[in-house]
Amino acid sequence: MDYGIEVRDQEAVVRLRGRLTFNDHAKLRTLIGEMGQNKLKRQVLDLSSLEFVDSAGIGMLLIAREEMDRAAKQFVLRGAAGQVKRVLTVAQIAKIVPMED
Amino acid sequence: MTGSPPPGLLPIETRDAFDGLAGARVLVVDDNRINRHLLLALLERGGITLIEQAEDGHDALVRIERFKPDLVLLDLMMPQMDGFEMCRRLRADPRWKSLPVLVQSSLNRAEDRARAFAAGATDYVTKPINAVELLARVRIHLRKRTMLRDLQQYHSCTEAELELARAMQARMLPGPDRLAELEAATGIAIHTHFAPSSELGGDFWGIDRLPDGRVAVYLVDFSGHGVGAALNTFRLDAICRQIGSTELSPAEFLAAVNRRLCGLLPCGQFATMLTGVIDPAAGLFHYASAGSTAPMMWHPGDEAPRLGDGSGLPLGLLASASYDSRLMPMPPGARLFLYSDAAIEIPIGGEDSHEVLDEYGLATLFARRLQEPDDAALLSGLLADLAATGPIDDDLTALLLTRRE
Repeated sequence: MDYGIEVRDQEAVVRLRGRLTFNDHAKLRTLIGEMGQNKLKRQVLDLSSLEFVDSAGIGMLLIAREEMDRAAKQFVLRGAAGQVKRVLTVAQIAKIVPMED
Repeated sequence: MTGSPPPGLLPIETRDAFDGLAGARVLVVDDNRINRHLLLALLERGGITLIEQAEDGHDALVRIERFKPDLVLLDLMMPQMDGFEMCRRLRADPRWKSLPVLVQSSLNRAEDRARAFAAGATDYVTKPINAVELLARVRIHLRKRTMLRDLQQYHSCTEAELELARAMQARMLPGPDRLAELEAATGIAIHTHFAPSSELGGDFWGIDRLPDGRVAVYLVDFSGHGVGAALNTFRLDAICRQIGSTELSPAEFLAAVNRRLCGLLPCGQFATMLTGVIDPAAGLFHYASAGSTAPMMWHPGDEAPRLGDGSGLPLGLLASASYDSRLMPMPPGARLFLYSDAAIEIPIGGEDSHEVLDEYGLATLFARRLQEPDDAALLSGLLADLAATGPIDDDLTALLLTRRE
Protein backbone atom coordinates (compact mmCIF):
# COMPACT_ATOMS: atom_id res chain seq x y z
CA MET A 1 0.00 0.00 0.00
CA ASP A 2 1.10 3.55 -0.57
CA TYR A 3 -0.69 6.85 -0.10
CA GLY A 4 -0.78 10.53 -0.86
CA ILE A 5 -2.25 13.34 1.20
CA GLU A 6 -3.95 16.31 -0.41
CA VAL A 7 -4.91 19.18 1.89
CA ARG A 8 -7.91 21.08 0.49
CA ASP A 9 -9.94 24.01 1.86
CA GLN A 10 -12.32 22.08 4.03
CA GLU A 11 -10.82 18.63 4.23
CA ALA A 12 -7.66 16.55 4.03
CA VAL A 13 -7.97 13.72 1.52
CA VAL A 14 -5.74 10.70 1.94
CA ARG A 15 -5.73 8.47 -1.09
CA LEU A 16 -4.74 4.85 -0.42
CA ARG A 17 -3.43 2.75 -3.29
CA GLY A 18 -2.84 -0.99 -3.73
CA ARG A 19 -3.42 -3.56 -0.99
CA LEU A 20 -4.07 -2.81 2.66
CA THR A 21 -3.02 -5.78 4.80
CA PHE A 22 -1.27 -6.63 8.03
CA ASN A 23 2.09 -5.77 6.41
CA ASP A 24 1.08 -2.11 6.20
CA HIS A 25 0.72 -1.76 9.95
CA ALA A 26 3.71 0.55 10.44
CA LYS A 27 2.86 2.63 7.38
CA LEU A 28 -0.71 3.17 8.49
CA ARG A 29 0.51 4.18 11.95
CA THR A 30 2.65 6.88 10.33
CA LEU A 31 -0.27 7.93 8.19
CA ILE A 32 -2.60 8.24 11.18
CA GLY A 33 0.04 10.43 12.84
CA GLU A 34 0.16 12.69 9.77
CA MET A 35 -3.62 12.93 9.70
CA GLY A 36 -3.63 14.01 13.32
CA GLN A 37 -1.08 16.71 12.59
CA ASN A 38 -2.81 18.68 9.86
CA LYS A 39 -5.22 21.27 11.15
CA LEU A 40 -8.29 20.29 9.14
CA LYS A 41 -11.28 19.00 10.99
CA ARG A 42 -12.44 16.68 8.26
CA GLN A 43 -10.21 13.75 7.31
CA VAL A 44 -11.26 11.72 4.29
CA LEU A 45 -9.77 8.36 3.39
CA ASP A 46 -10.21 7.96 -0.34
CA LEU A 47 -10.38 4.22 -1.03
CA SER A 48 -11.15 4.41 -4.75
CA SER A 49 -7.63 3.29 -5.70
CA LEU A 50 -7.43 0.65 -3.00
CA GLU A 51 -7.77 -2.76 -4.58
CA PHE A 52 -7.73 -5.16 -1.65
CA VAL A 53 -8.27 -5.07 2.09
CA ASP A 54 -8.10 -7.96 4.57
CA SER A 55 -9.39 -8.17 8.14
CA ALA A 56 -6.19 -6.69 9.56
CA GLY A 57 -6.62 -3.80 7.10
CA ILE A 58 -10.14 -3.17 8.35
CA GLY A 59 -8.79 -3.24 11.89
CA MET A 60 -6.37 -0.48 10.94
CA LEU A 61 -9.16 1.63 9.43
CA LEU A 62 -10.99 1.27 12.75
CA ILE A 63 -7.89 2.35 14.65
CA ALA A 64 -7.74 5.42 12.39
CA ARG A 65 -11.36 6.16 13.21
CA GLU A 66 -10.65 5.94 16.93
CA GLU A 67 -7.59 8.20 16.68
CA MET A 68 -9.57 10.80 14.72
CA ASP A 69 -12.31 10.59 17.33
CA ARG A 70 -9.77 11.28 20.01
CA ALA A 71 -8.41 14.25 18.06
CA ALA A 72 -12.01 15.50 17.65
CA LYS A 73 -11.81 15.19 13.87
CA GLN A 74 -14.42 13.91 11.47
CA PHE A 75 -13.44 10.72 9.72
CA VAL A 76 -14.96 9.60 6.42
CA LEU A 77 -14.35 6.65 4.11
CA ARG A 78 -14.91 7.54 0.47
CA GLY A 79 -15.17 5.77 -2.85
CA ALA A 80 -14.70 2.12 -1.89
CA ALA A 81 -15.06 -0.19 -4.89
CA GLY A 82 -14.67 -3.83 -5.85
CA GLN A 83 -13.39 -6.23 -3.18
CA VAL A 84 -12.90 -3.36 -0.70
CA LYS A 85 -16.51 -2.30 -1.05
CA ARG A 86 -17.71 -5.91 -0.71
CA VAL A 87 -15.72 -6.44 2.48
CA LEU A 88 -16.81 -3.14 4.05
CA THR A 89 -20.42 -3.89 3.13
CA VAL A 90 -20.37 -7.41 4.57
CA ALA A 91 -18.88 -6.02 7.78
CA GLN A 92 -21.48 -3.22 7.80
CA ILE A 93 -18.74 -0.72 8.56
CA ALA A 94 -21.11 2.07 7.53
CA LYS A 95 -22.82 1.55 10.87
CA ILE A 96 -19.81 2.95 12.69
CA VAL A 97 -17.91 5.04 10.12
CA PRO A 98 -19.55 7.46 7.67
CA MET A 99 -19.11 6.22 4.10
CA GLU A 100 -19.46 8.24 0.90
CA ASP A 101 -19.51 7.12 -2.72
CA MET B 1 21.18 -0.35 46.73
CA THR B 2 24.62 -0.35 48.28
CA GLY B 3 26.21 1.48 45.36
CA SER B 4 28.42 -0.99 43.51
CA PRO B 5 31.55 0.45 41.85
CA PRO B 6 31.41 1.09 38.08
CA PRO B 7 32.51 -1.97 36.04
CA GLY B 8 35.86 -0.47 35.08
CA LEU B 9 36.99 -0.39 38.70
CA LEU B 10 36.10 -4.00 39.51
CA PRO B 11 38.88 -6.60 39.67
CA ILE B 12 39.17 -8.42 36.37
CA GLU B 13 37.64 -11.65 37.71
CA THR B 14 34.49 -9.92 38.91
CA ARG B 15 34.12 -8.01 35.69
CA ASP B 16 34.16 -11.27 33.73
CA ALA B 17 31.56 -12.71 36.02
CA PHE B 18 29.40 -9.81 34.91
CA ASP B 19 30.14 -10.62 31.30
CA GLY B 20 28.97 -14.17 31.82
CA LEU B 21 32.46 -15.55 31.04
CA ALA B 22 33.17 -16.95 34.49
CA GLY B 23 31.98 -20.44 33.58
CA ALA B 24 33.54 -20.41 30.11
CA ARG B 25 35.52 -23.54 29.14
CA VAL B 26 38.58 -23.13 26.94
CA LEU B 27 40.67 -25.86 25.33
CA VAL B 28 44.27 -24.95 24.57
CA VAL B 29 45.79 -27.04 21.77
CA ASP B 30 49.55 -26.75 21.27
CA ASP B 31 52.34 -29.34 21.00
CA ASN B 32 54.74 -27.09 22.91
CA ARG B 33 54.36 -27.37 26.67
CA ILE B 34 55.85 -23.92 27.33
CA ASN B 35 53.44 -22.33 24.90
CA ARG B 36 50.52 -24.11 26.57
CA HIS B 37 51.55 -22.87 29.99
CA LEU B 38 51.96 -19.38 28.69
CA LEU B 39 48.47 -19.40 27.23
CA LEU B 40 47.09 -20.99 30.40
CA ALA B 41 48.55 -18.25 32.59
CA LEU B 42 47.25 -15.63 30.23
CA LEU B 43 43.71 -17.02 30.25
CA GLU B 44 43.73 -17.33 34.02
CA ARG B 45 44.76 -13.73 34.30
CA GLY B 46 41.74 -12.95 32.16
CA GLY B 47 39.49 -14.68 34.66
CA ILE B 48 38.99 -17.95 32.82
CA THR B 49 39.44 -20.91 35.14
CA LEU B 50 38.04 -23.91 33.27
CA ILE B 51 40.92 -24.72 30.97
CA GLU B 52 42.06 -28.01 29.48
CA GLN B 53 45.12 -28.77 27.38
CA ALA B 54 45.70 -30.98 24.36
CA GLU B 55 49.00 -31.84 22.66
CA ASP B 56 47.86 -32.36 19.09
CA GLY B 57 44.80 -32.58 16.86
CA HIS B 58 43.94 -36.16 17.81
CA ASP B 59 44.23 -35.46 21.49
CA ALA B 60 42.11 -32.32 21.03
CA LEU B 61 39.25 -34.14 19.27
CA VAL B 62 39.14 -36.74 22.07
CA ARG B 63 39.15 -34.11 24.79
CA ILE B 64 36.51 -31.97 23.08
CA GLU B 65 34.03 -34.83 23.42
CA ARG B 66 34.47 -34.95 27.17
CA PHE B 67 35.33 -31.34 28.02
CA LYS B 68 32.78 -29.67 25.73
CA PRO B 69 34.69 -26.38 25.39
CA ASP B 70 33.17 -23.00 24.58
CA LEU B 71 36.30 -21.99 22.70
CA VAL B 72 39.38 -23.69 21.24
CA LEU B 73 42.77 -21.98 21.08
CA LEU B 74 44.46 -23.87 18.29
CA ASP B 75 48.04 -24.16 17.11
CA LEU B 76 48.49 -25.19 13.48
CA MET B 77 51.86 -26.96 13.25
CA MET B 78 51.61 -30.10 15.36
CA PRO B 79 52.68 -33.75 15.01
CA GLN B 80 50.09 -36.56 14.60
CA MET B 81 47.24 -34.37 13.40
CA ASP B 82 47.85 -30.72 12.61
CA GLY B 83 45.50 -27.85 13.33
CA PHE B 84 44.10 -27.65 9.78
CA GLU B 85 43.01 -31.26 9.78
CA MET B 86 41.63 -31.08 13.31
CA CYS B 87 39.57 -28.04 12.39
CA ARG B 88 38.16 -29.74 9.29
CA ARG B 89 37.15 -32.82 11.28
CA LEU B 90 35.62 -30.69 14.00
CA ARG B 91 33.47 -28.79 11.53
CA ALA B 92 32.30 -32.00 9.89
CA ASP B 93 30.41 -32.71 13.11
CA PRO B 94 27.24 -30.60 13.26
CA ARG B 95 27.50 -30.35 17.05
CA TRP B 96 30.66 -28.26 16.75
CA LYS B 97 29.66 -26.12 13.81
CA SER B 98 29.46 -22.90 15.79
CA LEU B 99 32.23 -23.61 18.32
CA PRO B 100 34.69 -20.70 18.06
CA VAL B 101 38.18 -21.80 17.02
CA LEU B 102 40.82 -19.13 17.53
CA VAL B 103 43.99 -20.08 15.71
CA GLN B 104 47.28 -18.95 17.24
CA SER B 105 50.18 -19.75 14.98
CA SER B 106 53.61 -18.63 13.92
CA LEU B 107 52.58 -19.13 10.31
CA ASN B 108 51.88 -15.62 9.15
CA ARG B 109 51.59 -15.71 5.37
CA ALA B 110 48.29 -14.75 3.82
CA GLU B 111 47.95 -18.27 2.31
CA ASP B 112 48.27 -19.84 5.77
CA ARG B 113 45.50 -17.65 7.12
CA ALA B 114 43.33 -18.39 4.11
CA ARG B 115 43.92 -22.14 4.54
CA ALA B 116 43.03 -21.94 8.23
CA PHE B 117 39.80 -20.08 7.53
CA ALA B 118 38.97 -22.53 4.76
CA ALA B 119 39.42 -25.36 7.25
CA GLY B 120 36.86 -23.68 9.50
CA ALA B 121 38.81 -21.38 11.82
CA THR B 122 36.84 -18.53 13.37
CA ASP B 123 39.71 -16.13 13.95
CA TYR B 124 43.51 -15.95 13.67
CA VAL B 125 46.31 -14.37 15.68
CA THR B 126 50.01 -14.76 14.96
CA LYS B 127 52.78 -15.59 17.35
CA PRO B 128 54.45 -14.01 19.19
CA ILE B 129 51.24 -13.58 21.14
CA ASN B 130 50.13 -10.13 22.12
CA ALA B 131 48.49 -10.82 25.48
CA VAL B 132 46.02 -7.96 25.41
CA GLU B 133 44.88 -8.70 21.88
CA LEU B 134 44.51 -12.43 22.49
CA LEU B 135 42.46 -11.91 25.62
CA ALA B 136 40.28 -9.35 23.87
CA ARG B 137 39.58 -11.78 21.05
CA VAL B 138 38.91 -14.64 23.45
CA ARG B 139 36.40 -12.46 25.28
CA ILE B 140 34.69 -11.38 22.07
CA HIS B 141 34.26 -14.95 20.86
CA LEU B 142 33.06 -16.22 24.21
CA ARG B 143 30.59 -13.38 24.54
CA LYS B 144 29.29 -14.02 21.03
CA ARG B 145 28.91 -17.68 21.88
CA THR B 146 26.99 -16.85 25.04
CA MET B 147 24.67 -14.55 23.12
CA LEU B 148 24.16 -17.13 20.40
CA ARG B 149 23.39 -19.78 22.99
CA ASP B 150 20.90 -17.49 24.75
CA LEU B 151 19.26 -16.78 21.45
CA GLN B 152 19.08 -20.47 20.54
CA GLN B 153 17.68 -21.27 23.96
CA TYR B 154 15.09 -18.54 23.64
CA HIS B 155 14.21 -19.77 20.19
CA SER B 156 13.74 -23.40 21.16
CA CYS B 157 11.86 -22.37 24.30
CA THR B 158 9.50 -20.21 22.27
CA GLU B 159 9.08 -22.96 19.72
CA ALA B 160 8.14 -25.45 22.42
CA GLU B 161 5.67 -23.02 23.94
CA LEU B 162 4.06 -22.30 20.60
CA GLU B 163 3.77 -26.01 19.94
CA LEU B 164 2.08 -26.49 23.29
CA ALA B 165 -0.31 -23.62 22.58
CA ARG B 166 -1.04 -25.06 19.15
CA ALA B 167 -1.91 -28.40 20.69
CA MET B 168 -4.15 -26.66 23.24
CA GLN B 169 -5.92 -24.81 20.47
CA ALA B 170 -6.39 -28.01 18.49
CA ARG B 171 -7.90 -29.68 21.56
CA MET B 172 -10.52 -26.93 21.81
CA LEU B 173 -11.90 -28.09 18.49
CA PRO B 174 -14.28 -31.06 18.37
CA GLY B 175 -12.34 -34.26 17.72
CA PRO B 176 -13.25 -37.14 15.38
CA ASP B 177 -14.93 -39.10 18.20
CA ARG B 178 -17.36 -36.31 18.95
CA LEU B 179 -18.10 -35.77 15.28
CA ALA B 180 -18.81 -39.49 14.79
CA GLU B 181 -21.07 -39.51 17.81
CA LEU B 182 -22.88 -36.44 16.55
CA GLU B 183 -23.42 -37.98 13.15
CA ALA B 184 -24.81 -41.17 14.67
CA ALA B 185 -27.21 -39.22 16.87
CA THR B 186 -28.40 -36.52 14.49
CA GLY B 187 -27.67 -37.66 10.92
CA ILE B 188 -25.47 -34.60 10.36
CA ALA B 189 -22.06 -35.63 9.02
CA ILE B 190 -19.23 -33.14 9.47
CA HIS B 191 -15.95 -32.95 7.59
CA THR B 192 -13.45 -30.31 8.54
CA HIS B 193 -10.19 -28.66 7.61
CA PHE B 194 -8.25 -26.40 9.97
CA ALA B 195 -4.93 -24.91 8.92
CA PRO B 196 -3.40 -21.92 10.74
CA SER B 197 -1.06 -19.93 8.48
CA SER B 198 1.60 -19.82 11.22
CA GLU B 199 2.01 -21.92 14.39
CA LEU B 200 -1.09 -20.37 15.87
CA GLY B 201 -4.16 -18.97 14.25
CA GLY B 202 -7.17 -16.78 14.82
CA ASP B 203 -9.70 -19.22 13.40
CA PHE B 204 -11.89 -21.33 15.59
CA TRP B 205 -15.05 -23.39 15.24
CA GLY B 206 -17.36 -25.45 17.39
CA ILE B 207 -20.36 -27.67 17.22
CA ASP B 208 -22.94 -28.70 19.80
CA ARG B 209 -25.79 -31.16 19.99
CA LEU B 210 -28.94 -29.45 21.18
CA PRO B 211 -32.00 -31.17 22.64
CA ASP B 212 -34.61 -32.44 20.12
CA GLY B 213 -32.05 -33.41 17.47
CA ARG B 214 -30.87 -29.96 16.48
CA VAL B 215 -27.22 -29.11 15.90
CA ALA B 216 -25.57 -25.77 16.66
CA VAL B 217 -22.45 -24.81 14.72
CA TYR B 218 -20.25 -21.72 14.75
CA LEU B 219 -17.23 -20.46 12.90
CA VAL B 220 -15.08 -17.58 14.14
CA ASP B 221 -12.24 -15.66 12.54
CA PHE B 222 -10.32 -13.10 14.59
CA SER B 223 -8.69 -10.23 12.76
CA GLY B 224 -5.01 -10.81 12.14
CA HIS B 225 -3.30 -14.11 12.83
CA GLY B 226 -0.53 -15.40 15.08
CA VAL B 227 -0.32 -15.39 18.85
CA GLY B 228 -2.58 -12.41 19.54
CA ALA B 229 -5.41 -13.74 17.41
CA ALA B 230 -4.96 -17.22 18.92
CA LEU B 231 -5.27 -15.90 22.47
CA ASN B 232 -8.55 -14.32 21.47
CA THR B 233 -9.86 -17.72 20.33
CA PHE B 234 -9.38 -19.00 23.89
CA ARG B 235 -11.30 -16.02 25.22
CA LEU B 236 -14.09 -16.66 22.79
CA ASP B 237 -14.24 -20.35 23.62
CA ALA B 238 -14.74 -19.43 27.28
CA ILE B 239 -17.42 -16.87 26.40
CA CYS B 240 -19.34 -19.33 24.21
CA ARG B 241 -19.31 -21.96 26.96
CA GLN B 242 -20.45 -19.39 29.48
CA ILE B 243 -23.38 -18.26 27.37
CA GLY B 244 -24.37 -21.80 26.44
CA SER B 245 -26.15 -22.42 23.19
CA THR B 246 -29.45 -24.04 24.10
CA GLU B 247 -31.94 -21.25 24.68
CA LEU B 248 -30.80 -18.36 22.51
CA SER B 249 -31.50 -17.94 18.80
CA PRO B 250 -28.36 -17.55 16.65
CA ALA B 251 -28.96 -13.78 16.42
CA GLU B 252 -29.36 -13.46 20.17
CA PHE B 253 -26.31 -15.61 20.72
CA LEU B 254 -24.18 -13.35 18.49
CA ALA B 255 -25.44 -10.23 20.26
CA ALA B 256 -24.55 -11.78 23.64
CA VAL B 257 -21.04 -12.77 22.49
CA ASN B 258 -20.55 -9.31 20.99
CA ARG B 259 -21.48 -7.52 24.22
CA ARG B 260 -18.91 -9.54 26.16
CA LEU B 261 -16.16 -9.15 23.52
CA CYS B 262 -16.63 -5.38 23.26
CA GLY B 263 -15.25 -4.92 26.75
CA LEU B 264 -12.27 -7.17 26.08
CA LEU B 265 -10.88 -6.34 22.65
CA PRO B 266 -8.65 -3.30 22.13
CA CYS B 267 -9.36 -0.98 19.23
CA GLY B 268 -8.47 -2.49 15.86
CA GLN B 269 -9.19 -6.08 16.92
CA PHE B 270 -12.44 -7.77 16.11
CA ALA B 271 -13.87 -11.09 15.03
CA THR B 272 -16.22 -12.23 12.34
CA MET B 273 -18.53 -15.04 13.32
CA LEU B 274 -21.28 -17.12 11.85
CA THR B 275 -23.46 -19.13 14.13
CA GLY B 276 -26.35 -21.32 13.12
CA VAL B 277 -28.66 -24.14 14.10
CA ILE B 278 -29.52 -27.04 11.83
CA ASP B 279 -33.03 -28.23 12.52
CA PRO B 280 -33.47 -31.56 10.70
CA ALA B 281 -37.10 -31.97 11.75
CA ALA B 282 -38.05 -28.64 10.15
CA GLY B 283 -35.50 -29.01 7.34
CA LEU B 284 -34.02 -25.59 8.07
CA PHE B 285 -30.74 -23.88 8.82
CA HIS B 286 -31.25 -20.82 11.05
CA TYR B 287 -28.25 -18.56 11.21
CA ALA B 288 -26.89 -15.13 12.00
CA SER B 289 -23.65 -13.55 10.89
CA ALA B 290 -21.28 -10.89 12.17
CA GLY B 291 -19.44 -10.06 8.96
CA SER B 292 -18.61 -13.68 8.28
CA THR B 293 -18.41 -15.30 4.87
CA ALA B 294 -21.62 -16.21 3.05
CA PRO B 295 -22.71 -19.77 3.92
CA MET B 296 -23.20 -22.02 0.88
CA MET B 297 -26.05 -24.50 0.75
CA TRP B 298 -26.48 -27.16 -1.88
CA HIS B 299 -29.68 -29.13 -2.39
CA PRO B 300 -29.64 -32.51 -4.14
CA GLY B 301 -30.49 -32.00 -7.80
CA ASP B 302 -29.22 -28.40 -7.90
CA GLU B 303 -26.35 -27.50 -10.19
CA ALA B 304 -24.80 -24.95 -7.91
CA PRO B 305 -24.88 -24.00 -4.25
CA ARG B 306 -27.12 -21.19 -2.99
CA LEU B 307 -25.31 -18.32 -1.30
CA GLY B 308 -26.52 -17.10 2.06
CA ASP B 309 -25.92 -13.65 3.53
CA GLY B 310 -22.88 -13.12 5.75
CA SER B 311 -23.29 -9.41 6.34
CA GLY B 312 -23.34 -8.02 9.86
CA LEU B 313 -21.13 -5.87 12.06
CA PRO B 314 -18.11 -7.87 13.27
CA LEU B 315 -17.92 -8.70 16.96
CA GLY B 316 -16.14 -6.37 19.34
CA LEU B 317 -16.78 -3.06 17.58
CA LEU B 318 -20.09 -1.77 18.93
CA ALA B 319 -21.65 -3.11 22.13
CA SER B 320 -25.18 -2.23 21.05
CA ALA B 321 -24.98 -4.11 17.73
CA SER B 322 -27.87 -6.42 16.88
CA TYR B 323 -27.92 -9.18 14.32
CA ASP B 324 -30.44 -10.42 11.76
CA SER B 325 -31.95 -13.88 11.95
CA ARG B 326 -31.63 -15.62 8.59
CA LEU B 327 -32.89 -18.86 7.18
CA MET B 328 -32.00 -21.39 4.51
CA PRO B 329 -33.90 -24.58 3.72
CA MET B 330 -31.85 -27.70 4.37
CA PRO B 331 -33.61 -30.79 3.02
CA PRO B 332 -32.27 -34.35 3.41
CA GLY B 333 -29.05 -34.79 1.41
CA ALA B 334 -28.28 -31.08 1.54
CA ARG B 335 -24.72 -29.94 2.04
CA LEU B 336 -23.77 -26.82 3.97
CA PHE B 337 -20.33 -25.30 3.42
CA LEU B 338 -18.80 -22.82 5.88
CA TYR B 339 -15.30 -21.36 5.45
CA SER B 340 -13.03 -18.59 6.71
CA ASP B 341 -12.30 -15.61 4.48
CA ALA B 342 -8.88 -17.00 3.50
CA ALA B 343 -10.81 -19.08 0.94
CA ILE B 344 -12.15 -16.00 -0.85
CA GLU B 345 -9.03 -13.84 -0.57
CA ILE B 346 -6.81 -16.01 -2.74
CA PRO B 347 -5.16 -13.80 -5.36
CA ILE B 348 -5.95 -14.68 -8.98
CA GLY B 349 -4.78 -13.28 -12.30
CA GLY B 350 -1.03 -13.17 -11.66
CA GLU B 351 1.55 -10.84 -10.17
CA ASP B 352 0.20 -7.39 -10.94
CA SER B 353 -3.44 -8.19 -10.42
CA HIS B 354 -5.17 -7.44 -7.13
CA GLU B 355 -8.13 -9.60 -8.01
CA VAL B 356 -9.15 -12.32 -5.59
CA LEU B 357 -11.17 -15.50 -5.95
CA ASP B 358 -14.26 -14.08 -4.11
CA GLU B 359 -17.31 -16.08 -3.05
CA TYR B 360 -18.68 -16.54 -6.57
CA GLY B 361 -15.38 -18.02 -7.64
CA LEU B 362 -15.47 -20.30 -4.62
CA ALA B 363 -19.08 -21.29 -5.36
CA THR B 364 -18.02 -22.21 -8.90
CA LEU B 365 -15.24 -24.46 -7.59
CA PHE B 366 -17.68 -25.99 -5.11
CA ALA B 367 -20.27 -26.59 -7.83
CA ARG B 368 -17.76 -28.58 -9.90
CA ARG B 369 -17.22 -30.99 -7.02
CA LEU B 370 -20.86 -31.52 -6.05
CA GLN B 371 -21.25 -34.75 -8.03
CA GLU B 372 -18.72 -36.37 -5.69
CA PRO B 373 -20.81 -38.61 -3.39
CA ASP B 374 -18.12 -38.93 -0.75
CA ASP B 375 -17.99 -35.86 1.51
CA ALA B 376 -14.39 -36.31 2.61
CA ALA B 377 -13.28 -36.62 -1.02
CA LEU B 378 -15.35 -33.55 -1.94
CA LEU B 379 -13.74 -31.43 0.76
CA SER B 380 -10.19 -32.54 0.02
CA GLY B 381 -10.82 -32.01 -3.71
CA LEU B 382 -12.11 -28.50 -3.08
CA LEU B 383 -9.13 -27.69 -0.87
CA ALA B 384 -6.80 -28.93 -3.60
CA ASP B 385 -8.62 -26.59 -6.03
CA LEU B 386 -8.05 -23.69 -3.64
CA ALA B 387 -4.37 -24.52 -3.22
CA ALA B 388 -4.04 -24.65 -7.01
CA THR B 389 -5.77 -21.25 -7.34
CA GLY B 390 -3.05 -19.29 -5.56
CA PRO B 391 -1.16 -18.78 -2.33
CA ILE B 392 -3.27 -18.89 0.85
CA ASP B 393 -1.63 -16.59 3.40
CA ASP B 394 -4.19 -16.61 6.19
CA ASP B 395 -5.70 -19.21 8.52
CA LEU B 396 -8.01 -21.46 6.53
CA THR B 397 -10.90 -23.27 8.10
CA ALA B 398 -13.54 -25.16 6.12
CA LEU B 399 -16.54 -27.11 7.41
CA LEU B 400 -18.73 -29.33 5.28
CA LEU B 401 -21.94 -30.40 6.98
CA THR B 402 -24.10 -32.95 5.22
CA ARG B 403 -27.60 -33.93 6.19
CA ARG B 404 -27.81 -37.69 5.66
CA GLU B 405 -30.80 -38.87 3.68
